[in-house]
Amino acid sequence: MKFVAKKPREGINVSDVHPLVEAGTLVVGLTLIFVFIALLLIFLIEIALYFVSDETEAELFADWLPEDLVAVSPADDRLYETQLLLDRLSSHWIDTPYTFRLEIDDSEVANAMALPGGLVVVTEGLLDKVESENELAFVLGHELGHFRNRDHIRALGRGIVLSLFFAVVTGNDVAGLGIKATDVTLRGFSRKQESAADEFGLSLVHAEYGHVNEAWRLFERWDSEQDSSPGIVTYLSTHPQAGNRVEDLKLLADREGWQVQGDVRALQW
Amino acid sequence: MEDFLQTLEIFFNFGLPLLILMVAYFVGSTIEKRHFKNICEREDDLHGFPVVSFDTMPEDWNVSSCNMVTGSIVISLDYFKRVIAGLRGLIGGRIKTYEPLLERARREALLRMTESAREQGYDAVFNVRLETSRLANARRDGKGTAGVEMLAFGTAVKFASRFG
Repeated sequence: MKFVAKKPREGINVSDVHPLVEAGTLVVGLTLIFVFIALLLIFLIEIALYFVSDETEAELFADWLPEDLVAVSPADDRLYETQLLLDRLSSHWIDTPYTFRLEIDDSEVANAMALPGGLVVVTEGLLDKVESENELAFVLGHELGHFRNRDHIRALGRGIVLSLFFAVVTGNDVAGLGIKATDVTLRGFSRKQESAADEFGLSLVHAEYGHVNEAWRLFERWDSEQDSSPGIVTYLSTHPQAGNRVEDLKLLADREGWQVQGDVRALQW
Repeated sequence: MEDFLQTLEIFFNFGLPLLILMVAYFVGSTIEKRHFKNICEREDDLHGFPVVSFDTMPEDWNVSSCNMVTGSIVISLDYFKRVIAGLRGLIGGRIKTYEPLLERARREALLRMTESAREQGYDAVFNVRLETSRLANARRDGKGTAGVEMLAFGTAVKFASRFG
């Protein structure tokens, strides 16, 4: 037997694909797949909404609290007064399936959220910012609007979908996944949803006080504070910019013929 | 101030990994290119040195001495390859970024073995085998890979007289 030295050609064991092409293909392809799956799931959630009634949801989440809630002491005056205000406002929503509960979260970021089972969470930061009961009433009314349009359940579904998605991508444990309030609310609502909630909220405020004076003053103050805020944060947020919001609210009050003058109640604490 | 912190957070969350990814790609691909060039040169140098995988020596080989020779290399993947392979792991298929890595490891191990044989004055190596083992990561959960070892070994022989 004769040994003949031969050199095989290069690249037999290596795919002839540039690593950057491979990277690009994977990133674009997977993004498309995930977007498709996410849209599909969101669509399925919409379908599921027809089958899960308000009553079922209220029952399921009757005692539920989000994992990451840092509640203030139950003896807090503000908790009592705000719950009272919430009850007064929701009394104008005839045949609501929910018994609304209120919690105050110990967070400095001004925010309010509508969570499953009729749970309204407002942050300390928000309570520090409001200057009259009427301002607070509109914020609460807005959240009640989210319940009426069932945005909170949509957001819950989307939040779960997104959490699962991130868990898969980052390789975290899916089993240990709890529902956090941030999952549900930070993803934001669409502008349309926000406007619809605004409309309902303002109608509740009008029903309660007989006028809508100071309902949107909180946003006007925000506007003047944030005039010079640079783009990126606002850009990422789906919340309507306060400016347009105030305009829309004024138009709405005008259209409905709601009084814009009236007595303003001071905060009760 | 708050906006600055926000920007900083976005940078640390997205910008930094992306930057590391880019650096890893450029450094990694430069090293890979140079390694392949080096491998090719040394292979040309060893061209004609018999390295075969028979497990029994051909009968017409008249051998005066023999010994085992080994060559091994430990090689690790860069962050870029790891990330792309991770994405590939979601859908399956050829992990194209790992192929050149393991190709380098195999050829380098064989080269080291052959160079060792030649250095010791042997004329050929037979019964050549390749073994590979995974080096565990230092991470406590035991997940991940620090790198792989590629080991080439065979029996080097010295001919009493030229064969063939």
